[in-house]
Amino acid sequence: MKYSGNSAIELEILGFLSEPAEERFESLALSIYNYQRRANPVYAQYCEYLGTPKQVDSWKRIPAVPQIAFKRSDIRSFPVQETQTEFRTSGTTGEGHGKHHFPSIRLYEAAVQRGWDYFRLPRHRSILLMQHPEDAPFSSLSRMGAILAGSEPERFVISQDGGLDFSRLREQLSDRHEAVTLFGTALAYLNLFEKAPDFDLALNPASMVMETGGFKGSGRDVAKSDLYEKLSLRLGVAADSIWNEYGMTELSSQFYSRGVGRSHQAPPWVRFQIIDPETNQEASPGKVGLLRIIDLANLWSVLAVLTQDLAIAQPDGGFLLLGRDPQALPRGCSRAVDELMHFARG
Amino acid sequence: MRLDDRIVALVAAAAKVSWLVDLSFENISRWIELELGQYLSDPKPQPYGNQHCQTYPLSPILHIVSGNTPHAALQSLIRGVIVGATNWIKLPHQGIPEVDIFVDALPKELRPEMATELLPHWMEKAEVIVVFGSDQTVREFSQRVLPSQRFLAHGEKVSLGLIWGQCDPQIAEGIARDVFPFDQLGCLSPQFFFVVGDSADFALQLSDQLEKQPPRTLAPARDRATAGVLRAFREEWKFRAAITPGVFLRESRGNLDWVVIHDPEPVLVTNPLHGTIFIKPMPPDVELTLAPIRRLISTIGLFPINRELVHFGICLGAQRICRIGQMQNPPLTWHHDGWPALGSFVRFVDIEGL
Repeated sequence: MKYSGNSAIELEILGFLSEPAEERFESLALSIYNYQRRANPVYAQYCEYLGTPKQVDSWKRIPAVPQIAFKRSDIRSFPVQETQTEFRTSGTTGEGHGKHHFPSIRLYEAAVQRGWDYFRLPRHRSILLMQHPEDAPFSSLSRMGAILAGSEPERFVISQDGGLDFSRLREQLSDRHEAVTLFGTALAYLNLFEKAPDFDLALNPASMVMETGGFKGSGRDVAKSDLYEKLSLRLGVAADSIWNEYGMTELSSQFYSRGVGRSHQAPPWVRFQIIDPETNQEASPGKVGLLRIIDLANLWSVLAVLTQDLAIAQPDGGFLLLGRDPQALPRGCSRAVDELMHFARG
Repeated sequence: MRLDDRIVALVAAAAKVSWLVDLSFENISRWIELELGQYLSDPKPQPYGNQHCQTYPLSPILHIVSGNTPHAALQSLIRGVIVGATNWIKLPHQGIPEVDIFVDALPKELRPEMATELLPHWMEKAEVIVVFGSDQTVREFSQRVLPSQRFLAHGEKVSLGLIWGQCDPQIAEGIARDVFPFDQLGCLSPQFFFVVGDSADFALQLSDQLEKQPPRTLAPARDRATAGVLRAFREEWKFRAAITPGVFLRESRGNLDWVVIHDPEPVLVTNPLHGTIFIKPMPPDVELTLAPIRRLISTIGLFPINRELVHFGICLGAQRICRIGQMQNPPLTWHHDGWPALGSFVRFVDIEGL
């Protein structure tokens, strides 16, 4: 069954994305919570388990679903038969894919477009170091690229098999007089630099570089400052023209930061809290904690998600992203059972 | 230095480390007698069947130790000193304070050579190489060992408990004693307990008992990244509990000291340790459930303990079986990872026709 569209709450959120008014955030967040608690049986069960009442008085008290729940269950706030789009996480942690379902990506598209404009990011011609959505139908990043840049195949320079299409990239970079936006994952940039050490990648200096995604699952770990130095050197743009997009399959909106060492900022329809892992309460200012995100555009799943990333709230209203520490949980000589099971499965 | 003098020196040094209280002259002498009879105390050929036999220390011994479990490092060194070997210790980069304290208290001639980097001649000259650490560490060193060298690898292990009975304060206290030392990171630390009977009730009773206990010093200062992983793990299990019949979670209030998770599925699951206790019903076929980890099982804690259940534990692959509450306290005489502790450090010379 196709999504009929135009639900009142969806329209209300779309209105907020077009004309955000801070004072309306809370009431809209609470309306979405009420809607999701009614429409999403899994979320309702979770709220009941936590003992959260059906009516809460603050967006801060809306229960956040742990990010990994998208791998464990169907987090869906609409009838399953109306599903039109499914985004999947990369599955690099070996625990299967997290899935985010949509009956329509109208809100998702609006969040991407309005977020980009909210941060006054330039509308250059884009070159996307990613696969075309037809080749990667479950990739939210590819879809985001297409929303921003259009779905003409020549914009996407990663081929169906995951390799770099150098002839297409050369073609896209042929006019060095024109400022462009180059958008890809940090890993894609590193691969590009390593596979084409002699390739002239210098962009017009007014260009913008957008990187995202980190190195999860690749076994690599490059400091952000080193990455930006490489990007700046090879692409010929100032470090200040390099941005990071922080988003995830489980959300509909994105955070952005510019250059190295600066905070990530949210658009007005997204708020965050830093959760003290010891107490599971909001951390005191300046303390490291888990990032908990409330995204009003996430109507079709859950609006509040507890990520596995560490961050510190900043006085400018943003957060400094620390991410996940791959060295966390040193195990001593106690063996991880999951590793053993994995080993046993071969 | 004579054996008796070495023992006296070890006992004096052990007095500087609180958890080496078992190391008395009498206990060490009994241990030697148990494992090696008169071989060490009487350095003459000993009758052995129709022939004779004599032991010599394999020396030098290179101990490659990890920082997480200072016990293992000191136990290995003590064994080396007892048999009369020269000892070298490759320490982790951050060092091990307990090892420094112990070594400083030894007479000069018994002190091991120590470094945080592997000295060039060590791998080549050592007659025994003992490695404590991750499987990756063990693998790296195993590739550098000569066929003529004895290689003792103490890699990562899994320990667990098997319980027939209800949870009373004594069992709860025993489980706490087994789980919480070393923040559950040791190879003797149980990762889960299989319970016969009402496992859900057992988990509830256990969490009630843990709640009654005074705040413990069990949780050392965990870094924020570790705390973050633990919190994310608990929230994930709360979600599982909400959607999966029979799953529930009870945790310490306002901190990450401990959590009891009841999971009705016997299948083995990830445990991030640091005070995480899984209670599961006894699987219908325990041997099959544990088959993937059989070769890596270290200690099985039992309640109650009797010959029948001990035999059961042996069949499951245990290298050590003990009563619940004693998992972290192996006796001085234990065969770490199933090997003779002193016998592994000596060469037996068979003498015929004497």
